[in-house]
Amino acid sequence: MRRLGVCVFGLWMLAMAPAWAAGGMGQGMTPLPDRPPAPEIDLVDLEGQRHTLAQHRGKVLIVNFWATWCPPCREEMPSMERAWQTLKDDGILLLAINVGETEDQVWTFTSNYPVNFPLLLDQDSKTIEAWPVQGLPTTFVIDPQGRLAYRAIGGRAWDDPVLLEQVRELHDAASH
Amino acid sequence: MMRRIGGVLAILLSAAVPLATAEVSQDLDADSGLARWHFRDGALSLELIQRLPDQTRAFFLGRGFDADSADRFARACVFQAIVRNRTPAGAAGPALAIDLGRWRVERGDVPLPLPLESEWQQRWSASGQPKRAQIAFRWALFPMQQVFQPGDYNWGMIALGPAPGSEVGLDLVWHENGQPRQGGMQGVRCPPDETVSDQLGDER
Repeated sequence: MRRLGVCVFGLWMLAMAPAWAAGGMGQGMTPLPDRPPAPEIDLVDLEGQRHTLAQHRGKVLIVNFWATWCPPCREEMPSMERAWQTLKDDGILLLAINVGETEDQVWTFTSNYPVNFPLLLDQDSKTIEAWPVQGLPTTFVIDPQGRLAYRAIGGRAWDDPVLLEQVRELHDAASH
Repeated sequence: MMRRIGGVLAILLSAAVPLATAEVSQDLDADSGLARWHFRDGALSLELIQRLPDQTRAFFLGRGFDADSADRFARACVFQAIVRNRTPAGAAGPALAIDLGRWRVERGDVPLPLPLESEWQQRWSASGQPKRAQIAFRWALFPMQQVFQPGDYNWGMIALGPAPGSEVGLDLVWHENGQPRQGGMQGVRCPPDETVSDQLGDER
């Protein structure tokens, strides 16, 4: 039985190997000059709590689309947790929306990648289909007016001070 | 006079579709031992890394596909593709626009288009693959069309179509700030259909 487990893990490692090997992160975020309104979100997180954009209006919000099988998504998760620990006291929120997977799959994932920000479930992929997303991971920063201010395609080191500063500037601009 | 017109036409054509001054390299991925091709030209970086059919079968079986469907896709010359806009984030640089529908696979006399995601999805719907499998397929594949701003990158599976072990050329078309560009790679080898146990056997 143990041997079977090792084989399954080995197979999974091999399935993911080329993407890991390629690795690497993108850099920075692209400002969206026209700041279109963010499409609605109405999803439940792993704790059973419902999240809508309307309830978070007035705050800067980071919205990340991801999946457990997506190597750059996994790679950026720890830095996302560090960013969250830095930003949460400023009233900045982070929602990570899992695409197409079950609650059990996401729970299992969190045993290896523990995070404290809400993990939302978009099991039928209806939410992501309404957003301007072509691939995973994609992350948006939403301004306090509920508009898409920045977009990042591909994984990032989210605790990069340059990125954190871009997010904080949005927050500070709204506070003054 | 005709020569002059011909010369002007040649200049106009070369300005319209700049021919690539590309760097193409091929090596073995250090971790997996699988072949990797790397194409660089202007702001575009494209890496293609072989995915053994066994890897791809395992991935899609794990997402809910039946064995026949997982095998059908896995044997369609699948690569892990990574596209990156090489311009550093924050620097003034071109946006890259990729449309896989304009890429062509050279094998034999007639260049062929890549099998489209929509064609695969029709097949999965017709054969009754579960919704969650189709969602995973949609997001695991490299997007058919995508714009990369400086600093952006994305990855995903690309199926070129031919059988395992085939050798093909790949004609690439992309846009940098709206200007068409083209280039290509020759001698790209579709991953052979070796099983994971074959690989382990080689190591023993």
